[in-house]
Amino acid sequence: MMARLQIGLAASVGLAITLLAGCSARLPGQPTEAERWRAPNEITDFNQLYTQNCAGCHGAGGRLGAARSLNDPLYLAFVTDDALRQAISKGRTGTNMPAFSEQAGGHLTDQQIELIVNGMRAHWSKSDDFKGVELPRYSVDASSTATNNDIATKALQAGAASRGGATYKTYCSSCHGSNGDGGSAGSIVEPNFLNLVSDQGLRTTVVVGRADIGKPDWRGNVPGHPMSAQEINDVVAWLAAHRKTTTVAVSKVEHSACLNMK
Amino acid sequence: MIERLRKIAIWIDDRVYVSKIFAATAGHHVPRTSGSWFYVFGSGTLLCFMVQIVTGICLALVYVPSSGQAYTSLEYLNYQQQFGWFLRAMHNWGSNFMVAIMLAHLAQVFLFGAFKYPREMTWISGVVLLLCTLGMAFTGQVLRFDQDAYWGLGIGAAMAGRVPVMGPAIVHMMLGGPIIAGETLSRFFTLHVFVIPGSILAIVSLHLRLVLTKGINEYPVPGKLVKKETYTEEYEAEIKQSGVPFFPKAISKDLIFSGLVLMGIVFCAAYFGPAGPHGIPDPTQINTAPKPDFFFLWLYGVLSLMPDYMETVVMLTAPFIVIGILFAVPFISNTGEKSPRRRPVAVLSVLFIFIVLGAFNYLGTYAPWSPKMEAWTSAATPTNYLEGRSPLERQGALVFHNKQCINCHSIGGEGGLRGPVLDSVATRLTGDQLVRQVIQGSGNMPAYGKNLSPPEVAALVAFMSTLHKPTEAPARDSTRSAQAASEIKQPNTTAEMANAKR
Repeated sequence: MMARLQIGLAASVGLAITLLAGCSARLPGQPTEAERWRAPNEITDFNQLYTQNCAGCHGAGGRLGAARSLNDPLYLAFVTDDALRQAISKGRTGTNMPAFSEQAGGHLTDQQIELIVNGMRAHWSKSDDFKGVELPRYSVDASSTATNNDIATKALQAGAASRGGATYKTYCSSCHGSNGDGGSAGSIVEPNFLNLVSDQGLRTTVVVGRADIGKPDWRGNVPGHPMSAQEINDVVAWLAAHRKTTTVAVSKVEHSACLNMK
Repeated sequence: MIERLRKIAIWIDDRVYVSKIFAATAGHHVPRTSGSWFYVFGSGTLLCFMVQIVTGICLALVYVPSSGQAYTSLEYLNYQQQFGWFLRAMHNWGSNFMVAIMLAHLAQVFLFGAFKYPREMTWISGVVLLLCTLGMAFTGQVLRFDQDAYWGLGIGAAMAGRVPVMGPAIVHMMLGGPIIAGETLSRFFTLHVFVIPGSILAIVSLHLRLVLTKGINEYPVPGKLVKKETYTEEYEAEIKQSGVPFFPKAISKDLIFSGLVLMGIVFCAAYFGPAGPHGIPDPTQINTAPKPDFFFLWLYGVLSLMPDYMETVVMLTAPFIVIGILFAVPFISNTGEKSPRRRPVAVLSVLFIFIVLGAFNYLGTYAPWSPKMEAWTSAATPTNYLEGRSPLERQGALVFHNKQCINCHSIGGEGGLRGPVLDSVATRLTGDQLVRQVIQGSGNMPAYGKNLSPPEVAALVAFMSTLHKPTEAPARDSTRSAQAASEIKQPNTTAEMANAKR
């Protein structure tokens, strides 16, 4: 009896020692390096940075968010690194894209912004898919990426806007309605909407589309007939021209609110 | 040879009275009925305390009680020292088990009337032990010098600072200066490692001495009343008639339970690991949501939910009232019925207290009163709330994030719970009412009129007007004809069209 007890004891001690020391398996409670707390400006993991800073609007995993899908190889082939860097650090004035760099009041360091840009490229780019495809240029001119509604851009667009109407009817009216104010995809000439998006944002959407929600890119609006560079410029100018009616619509909102208060 | 060893043993025993001490302690007789599974929590608590002493000594070999190095030494234990994390986890789970089992012990002693004559002092020393254990828990949380520790201590100091006249002096004494610094940590280290454990050892000795002299409570029998005149005689008669020696009879269940507790601590330590450290204790790190450990979560809940006008009064009087009641229990009900079957008020009080503590603890785990400051960039809009929405409505979803509405209002289970959940807000408010609410705010909600441009308001309201179940119609302004309403609410036409489609 005693001997059997001793053997059993020795065996269980041996087993415990093997389990604790010899076994390379990690116990589930052991903290991992990933769980280690880091100050927000020391986070260098792309997934963590994206999830904490971008996923709210651009969607988990860069898809199906309210804002532009970033997990989109076509978009990543279309946009330049510099434009991405600018958009993240300084935001897009007049739109819902806020500035994230520390200098602009956000809390990302320049290095972290660089990590996000590189991370999007590394995780979501498929540049091979667009070899030999002639992509439209990212921007019409440098100034139009920086500001919305600026005078120079408007002057440039004045002529284009008159041609844009016809281009719209050809390429966009099947989803957005004959005048742009309805259809299955909803109005895109709604002044309040246009006041919340930049011209570059419109251009990007016209060219790249939203593959994640089924909006075609510049090649797919009319199958087999991609939009030309001129047509893209024109339709963006035509859309931008609809912003002018803003004040009327807004006063109605305020008016109705006042009515309700009384 | 054996004869010689025997002689040595007898010589030692003759000088240090080992066998006599053993006979008088472990060998003493207890009522047969006390060898019950309900009587194992006291020894379970003691076992946890022993685990804490052993693991605590090991931790003290590495831990540096200085504000500059405390955090680093914890990280060293977690990530570099072989099984250092396991040591921290054992100490952490040991304390969790100790508080939990101690509460079970307290409840059992109270329900079984063990505090009644002649065991008042046993109960009182037990209450002091409870306070010491909570003191250990709090000082231990401070020694885990992280953000939780820092802000927990800050809250403790702020509460102490509310004491009239004496407040600042108390805070100064508590923190070792006007701010939380190296001196603070030294003080709490001294309390956690020397003062409180020393007191616990002394009071546990008294507690156990009283268990020996006044005897362990017999299993209560309904209808058998405690009378001062006859109780001692009856108890002694019961022991003489049917008593069993504590060792090895009554102790067997204690040992089995202690073994299970030890396995529980080891399992939890191995499976769930240590707590924290959650971020360096740097007050400039503002994006933190510090929370106390579970034994103080209920307090965190109470303090958060209390109306501010009663804060000072409650903070400064409630602890004394609660502790006073605990001390007074044996004098409030000193004799009479012991069995919980005949003491409905006692049973209901225990249930009530545990339910209240449990409810506040549960609230404390998810803190619905606190905005989620990270939600606006990290909580993705649920995809089904974006499906089939117009461009303006999608922009509204972006405004909802960018203006940080989601930090206080949740949609689809994402976001804060400070304000109302907005999943079906369109059935409660019309477009106009939403505009008014956003622009002017009301109640706890700030007015956003100056922070939102008219297009942003229009987009936001368009988005919110889509937030209703497909089977529920959105709210409608009954004072207007359908035609007039549609004319005035022109900016929302896309929203309404989208609704009509659904």
